[in-house]
Order: sequence, then C-alpha cells, then structure tokens
Amino acid sequence: MSWKNVKLIFLREVRDQLRDRRTLFMITILPVLLYPMLGLGIVEMMLTFNEERRTVVILNAGEFPEDPGFLAEGTIAVDWFAGGEGDAARLQVVADVPSAADTAPAPSGRRRKFTREQLLENGRTLAAEYAALQTATDGPQPETSSDLQARLSAAFSDSGIQVLVMVPDGYADSIAQLQQESGVADGEDVSPIPPLRVIRNSADDKSVVAFNRVRNALNNWEGALRAQTFRKAELRPELQHPARLEWVELAQGREVAANVWSKLFPAMIVIMALTGAFYPAIDLGAGEKERGTMETLLISPARRVELVLGKFLTVMMFSIGTALMNLASMGLTGKHMASAIGSGAVETVNLEFPGLESMLWLIVLLVPLAALFSALCLALATFAKSTKEGQYYLTPLLMVILGLTMFCLNPGMEITPLYSVIPVVNVALLLKGMLLSSSSSGELAVYAVPVLVSSVGYSVLALWWAIDLYNSEGVLFREAEKFELKKWMVSLTRDKEPVPAFPEATFCFIIIMILQFVAMSYLKPDLNSPDAGRRLMQTMVIQQLTMIACPAVFMGLLLTTSLRATFRLRKPTVIAMLMGVGMAVLAHPISIELSTFMVERGFLPPAPEEGLSRVNELLRSADLPQWLMIAVFAVTPAICEELAFRGFILSGLARGGRLGIAILISSMMFGIVHMIPQQAFNAAMLGLILGLLAVHSRSLFPPIAFHLCNNSIAAMYSRNGFGVQPDGVFLSQTDGMLRYEMPTLILCSVGLAVLVWRMIRDLRKEQEAKRQDALKSFEAPVAASLNVPPDAKNLAAGI
Amino acid sequence: MIRVQGLTKEFNDFNGLFRALDNVSFQVRPGEIYGLLGPNGAGKTTCLRILSTVLKPTRGFAEVAGINVMHDPEAVRRNIGFMSCNTGIYDRMTAREMVEYFGRLYGIPEDRLQPRIEEIFDVLQMHEIRDRLGSKMSTGMKQKVSIARTIVHDPPVIIFDEPTSGLDVLVARNVLQAVARLKEQGKCIIFSTHIMREVEKLCDRIAVIHRGRIVDEGTLPELAERHQQPDVEELFFDLIQQRDNELEERQTDFSSRGP
Repeated sequence: MSWKNVKLIFLREVRDQLRDRRTLFMITILPVLLYPMLGLGIVEMMLTFNEERRTVVILNAGEFPEDPGFLAEGTIAVDWFAGGEGDAARLQVVADVPSAADTAPAPSGRRRKFTREQLLENGRTLAAEYAALQTATDGPQPETSSDLQARLSAAFSDSGIQVLVMVPDGYADSIAQLQQESGVADGEDVSPIPPLRVIRNSADDKSVVAFNRVRNALNNWEGALRAQTFRKAELRPELQHPARLEWVELAQGREVAANVWSKLFPAMIVIMALTGAFYPAIDLGAGEKERGTMETLLISPARRVELVLGKFLTVMMFSIGTALMNLASMGLTGKHMASAIGSGAVETVNLEFPGLESMLWLIVLLVPLAALFSALCLALATFAKSTKEGQYYLTPLLMVILGLTMFCLNPGMEITPLYSVIPVVNVALLLKGMLLSSSSSGELAVYAVPVLVSSVGYSVLALWWAIDLYNSEGVLFREAEKFELKKWMVSLTRDKEPVPAFPEATFCFIIIMILQFVAMSYLKPDLNSPDAGRRLMQTMVIQQLTMIACPAVFMGLLLTTSLRATFRLRKPTVIAMLMGVGMAVLAHPISIELSTFMVERGFLPPAPEEGLSRVNELLRSADLPQWLMIAVFAVTPAICEELAFRGFILSGLARGGRLGIAILISSMMFGIVHMIPQQAFNAAMLGLILGLLAVHSRSLFPPIAFHLCNNSIAAMYSRNGFGVQPDGVFLSQTDGMLRYEMPTLILCSVGLAVLVWRMIRDLRKEQEAKRQDALKSFEAPVAASLNVPPDAKNLAAGI
Repeated sequence: MIRVQGLTKEFNDFNGLFRALDNVSFQVRPGEIYGLLGPNGAGKTTCLRILSTVLKPTRGFAEVAGINVMHDPEAVRRNIGFMSCNTGIYDRMTAREMVEYFGRLYGIPEDRLQPRIEEIFDVLQMHEIRDRLGSKMSTGMKQKVSIARTIVHDPPVIIFDEPTSGLDVLVARNVLQAVARLKEQGKCIIFSTHIMREVEKLCDRIAVIHRGRIVDEGTLPELAERHQQPDVEELFFDLIQQRDNELEERQTDFSSRGP
C-alpha cells in the first residue's frame, strides 16, 4: 500500500469538501453563526417573556389588614418581592381600591387591550362564576359543575387577567380576631379565617409566571403577618419554625456545571460526529458514482484500499471537526444562555467549562467514535448508487444512534463492563462519567481500555467492510435493478447451485429466529407440573426438529441441487472425528469458566435465576435417566443445529470463498439463536470451533461429534455426574458446583490452540493452492495460438 | 500489445445469471486503432472495463502491455489510459488541478509532470480553461480535460469507450482528431462506439460485438467482401441480425427438445 497515494487522495478530498458549500455550512456556518444566533434569539425571547408585565386583579382589596399591609398605593407593596422594585414592576396590579395608577398618566408604548375598569369588571364576573361553581360543586349535580368550570376557564382566558386574587369579606377582622384569640385553649370554638382565593390557569404560561410572582409576594406577606401574630401572642419568634430545618447544599458551581455538561456533551458529541460524517461520506461515496468520477478514480493506479483510506480519513477529519466546532459553539452559547436567563427570574447560573482532563478525554474518545461513524457512513454511502439513495441508507443509522444516545442520557445510567463494549454507548457513558465526576475519574479510567479497544475494533471492522465494498463489482457498478418477485422466485428454483447463496443462508437464519420467537410464546412447558422434566424434554425435541432442522433441510431441498454438498454429508476421516471429540473435551472447561468469569465481572448479565434454578433442579432429578438426558440435550441438538448452522447456513455464507467471515457470521448466528446471554456467548465461542471443524474436514460429522460430546459433558456437569472427586488442583467444588482450576484451563487452552492453529494453517495452504489454480485459469491458454490473430471465420462459426 | 482470449463475464442479479461477455477473443497491435462496434448493451463496456481491471473476468485471458490483468492490475492501470462517456470530471477542481492530481497518482515525478501538463495543454488548446472549475465547463471543455487526464502519463495503450456519446458534432470532431493524433504517436488504441461513421474514419480493424460475442472481425474492406455488403451501416445490421437469428434458432432447438 502506498501512503503517498493515500495522502494524495486525502488532500484532494479535503480540498474538494472545503469547496463544497454544504460541508462548509455544516462545519463552520452552522456552529459559528447559527447556534449563537439561535441561542441569543431564544434568550431574548425568554427574557422578553419573563420581563413582560402580567396583570393581577385583586378584588375586595380593602379587606386586607392594614398592618402588615399587602398593598401600598393600590398595588402590591415592593417589600414583599425578593427582587424589589424590578419584580414589582413586572406585575400590573389592578385592585378595587384607589391607586396611584388612577392619577398617573397612561404608560407610553403598546396600547393596553383592557382598561382598568374593564379588568375589574371582568374580575367581578369571574368571581361570580367561581361562586356559582362552588355552589354547584357542593350540590347534587357534578356534571353541571364541570360545565361551569369549563365556562369559568374560558372566561378567565378571555378576561385579560393572569391572576385573580379574591379577598373575602371581613378578612382583616378575622385575622385581627385570631390574633386576639391566640390564647384560647385547644378545643374551644374559634371563628375560622375565610380563605383568600387566588385563581390562575396552569395551562397558560403567562398565568403561571404571574402566579409565581404573586405567590412569592403573598408568602412573604404571610411570613410578616405570622411574625406579628407571634409577637402579639408574646410567643418566641423561633416557634414559627420549631423544626428548624436547614438544607445543606454541597454542590459547587463546578459540579453543577459538570452535571449540565455531562448531559449535553456526550449526546452532542455523538450526534455531531455522525452528522459531520454523514454528508461528506455521501458525497465521497454515492456522489462519486452519481457524478461519474468513481470510474475515473478506479482506473487510476491507486489501489482500492488506498482510495478508501484517503476517503475515510477525509470523512473522519470532517466528523471530528464538526463535532469539536459544534461543541465549542454550543458550549459557549449554552454558557451565555444560562447566565443570561439566570440573571432574570431565577438565581444566577455560572456554567464553568469542564476541566482540562475531561476535555482531553473528550478528544481521545471522539477519535474512535468519529472513525466508527466515518467508516460506517462511507460503507453505506458506497453501497448507494446515488446521493438520494445514500440518504435513505444513512437515515436509519442516524435513528439507531439517536436511540442509543437517548439511552445513555437516562438519569443514573452509568458505564458497566457490559456497556463498555457496546458501540457508541461505551463512549457516551464513559464521557458522561468523566465529565460528571472528576474525583472518581481514576476509577472510570479503568473502563477506558475496553472502551477504546472495542471502539477501535468496531472502527476497523467497519473500515474493512468499506474496503470490501470497494472491491465488489456488484456494488461499484450497481445499476438500477428492477426487482420482480416472480422472476426472482423463478430464478431461485431454476438457477439452483449445489450449495445455497449468501442471502438464502441469511434468510434461513431469519426463519429460524422467527420460529424461535414463536416457540418462546407458544411452546412453554409448565415447569411446575408433576411431569415437568418429561414435558421439558418433549418441548426441546419438538423445537429442535421443527424449528431448526426442518427449515434448513426444506430450504436445502428447494434451493440447492446437492444436499451432500450443502449439508457436508461426506465421510469424515478418523482423525477428523477424533479431533471433533478431543476439541469438545478441551473446549468445555474453557467455555464454562470463561462465561462464568464474564458474568462475575459484569460483562454478561446473569441468567434469570428463577427459571434456571427450576430447570437445573429438573435436570438433576433422578427421575430422568442419564441416557434420555444425553439423547435430548446432546444427540438431538448435535444433529439438528449442525444441519442448520454448519450445514445450510455455513455452506451458504462460505460460497463466496470467504471462509473466515463465513465462520464468524455463522457462529454469531449460532450464538444469537440461543437467546440467553450466557448461553449465547458460549455458543458463539464454540460456534467458531464448530465452523472451523466443518470447513477443515469438509464433513458435518466431526462438528456433530464435537457438539454431541460438548452437550453430553455439559449435561453430566450440570448433574455433577463426572464421578470424579474434586482434588483442588484440577477440579474443585464451589457452592455445590464443579469448577475447573487453572492447571486444567492452561492444559486445555494449549491443546485447543495447537489444534486450531493446525486447522487454520491447513486451510490457508488449501486456500492459497485454490487461488493459484484460479489464477492459472486466467493464463494464456496456448501461446502459439495468440501469435496469430484469430480467424474471423472461425469466430463467426463458433457462435 | 492487447491480447484477449476466451474472455467471459457473468453477472448475477435478482433475475438470475446474466452473461455479458461470452468467449471473446481479439488482439490489438501498437499504432493500431481497433474498433469495437456494437449496439447498446452488446458487452463493449464490460470488455473494456475488464481490460482496464475495473472488472474481473469470470473466465478467459486478457493481457495489456504484456501484463495479465489478473496478475498485476495496478501495473496494467499504469500502462493504460481510459476514457469513456461515463468517466466524469470533478466539479470542484480546476482543469489543471485535475490533470495534476492524476499525474501524481500515476507516479510522475514533479519535475516531469509540469512540462508534460504544459505540453498536453498546448496540444489540446486548454490554456484558457486551466483555472476553470469543472462545474463551470462546457461539455467540450470537460471532454478535453478527460482526454488530458487519460494521456497525462503517456500510456502505451489507450481505451476509448464511446467517447463521443452525447457530444455535439464539433466537440466529437475534436475528440476524434485527438484519437487520430495518438495513433500517429504509435499508441495501441481500442475505440468502442456504436456510430458507424466514426469507425469508418478512424479504425484500422473492427470487431462487431453483439449480445456478448464478437460476430465478425477484420478490416472494413475484408468484412464488406466477406458479407457482400459494401455499405457499412447495412453490414452492421446484417451482422447483428445474423447473431439474433443464431440465438433464436438455439432457443427454438432447446424448446423443441422438450423436458
């Protein structure tokens, strides 16, 4: 590979993108101009909304006590507002008592919709309607009251009043009387104070804002009244608050800010890194095809891997650039917005930016994330034949990533060993943790290794996929194919091959999965019935035969010309069979201990305790003979699952000649079909060996032997039926379960590694020989015949 | 210089297997323009894409400048220039940047690249458009840039795949003149087209290709004599018809045999 070519392609693509208005808009104009403008606009609108005067009508205002007086000169006294005159000025108080506003000139500016008299009149009407509602609510016809409430609500909306305060008759006298009667003993009659009613509409934001201001003022006034009452009753003022509650806030400004950034930055970094990769990838992939420059590039001497790397680095650069520019712009805008809004209604918020360490983590984690998105977007965009089609393919990716981001934003969601290897989630949660808690960043740094390693791994896989697509003629020169179901079905049965194709193998897996879901719903044995053990076994056999083996065999009959080739029904060598058995014996301790380790360390969730313990109990039951156990849990799956996964599916996946990928995908499918995470992990691991065995031996029987042995050992293991006593060196017993000790695991690992290495070496040799044979078929057939131009007549005759 | 023997290419799509090229054989010598004449969908582009290593053959042998296309595709690509109606130019690059870019990809040293570009721009009269972006160019200008890009590395083999398709008469004439000049320089040229007059004017030998197979091959006088048809257009139709009849007969034979 020539890095000079990669650099050349990279520089060209970067220059090309920088000359593209769409890219410039995404990475510069959007963050540099739009967010600040948008932020300022929102702040301005919110401030305007908060600053606007809201109308409060107070009826019967003369009934307020004079000392402490709630009103002063016909409006709410400035003393009762925490914000002083500023807060007071934001309320237009209309009270039915003479006020300074009556003589003051009308304020300039916008003309008010309602005059003072109209507002008072509207207030009185509302009060009358409320009284009617009260009467109806106490009466026998509740439906009338709901009508009245609807009418009251509608009238309130049209009244121009945001809050209506109704002071009851004799309110001041009642309070004064209470203050005088404060010495009356408990149990004696005391005239109650009629309630002061405040009407507002919580569905109306203007009413909510006005109500909050009025409530705060009333609370402060009530506090003063209470203090006065205590004073008159000659009670100690401390008795007003006998519990003496004191709220201690430990959060410092930096921590409050960290909390905000930990919610904002991980989400934004994921979304912006993807968005930054989205458009350049479409332009560099599908756009090249659409403009006809793809072919121009393909006929240059640059290799496909160089083309992809050059493009990938370009997309990645724009992804990182977009994410950083957007984060910086959004951070600054957010900080400004918080301080601007904070200076209004609520206390001032000073959002300090995260520390240097957190910001460095942000950049470190952004790199693999951008790499993953860039490779994925490039691969999908290459698959598309036009930019429009590219957008169709990339939009679902955007939706999935948004879903994962939302998942990470859940309160209390923290990184765990399992989450540390889930793509996107791992980066977002680690970053969230790093931003949130600088004190425990050392603990979180432990997760950095799995997060970075897995993220880089996913990126490499995605990049490999993109390179692979660039080597695929079908993808690069894909024309608009008109899909006709009938023609396709006919071609499936007409143009049959000895082994299935890749899509047919995938389709077989999908059918098996659908049937598994059906089985989960309808084939659930009653584990508490008296013969639960036998029912469980019946279900197992039915499920294996009808839902795993049947689809594969049926598809093999329908879609292939050779069942022998499809299901690898070839006679195996004795060595291959022995290898199958031997590898099962060697693999079992490793798979058991590895999955236990994964569960203990939190990489895998534990199996559902309730159902599992019951199944284990049934399996250990002495009612079930050992041979039946082996027949059901070892023989049946060994035959049925191998027919499906190492037979039809692996043959189909490997038809293109990519054995490694075929084995990997078939083992993943084998794992997925086992559903329970722990089992799925085990099955996927063992699936790799099974696939290797099948391909190496070209026969299904060694994998069947492996599967049968493995499941038999597992069945005996679960019943502690080895008949061996734990010696503490190779085997031990913990909580009634046999455990393999380190010497056993080391011996088994070495043995298994040697066998696997030998098989891989043999397969590589075989593949190389095949490749050389294939190349020979492209050699000049007969050198002598090429020296003479072909005879045109012969050519014509050969038609 | 170009040797092709038994070249076959099959594609698999939703509707089953499709053979785009079926056992095609021919040779092209240096200083010769070899015309591939055929209707749309005949297999011309598939054949030329295999020669330029963009596609891989299903079977058969193809050698360009003494290099097997399957053995060393990068070396093959360094030795050919490929221009077609499908090879677009970059909208956001100037003519000079584009030719420079491809020159560098072909590994031309910087001290040789600049004089080479000047020489090509002189010959093709491109100095006026050297700093013009691709998006601002007319179709004729774009074709000039395409030709410049094709020959910047001075390849011994040049492939033209319907280079005049969709061009007006004047621009097409310029392209044909450029091809003729390259022949004079001793280049080995394959010229694919479905326009008879271009073949008559340019090609030393032609092969008529239809439905993936070469129907007949030779110089124009040879073909006219062999098929007793002096008019080129009529000759072309006769050969096409001949291949269609052949395939229909085969189909009838196959159907009449029954299950």
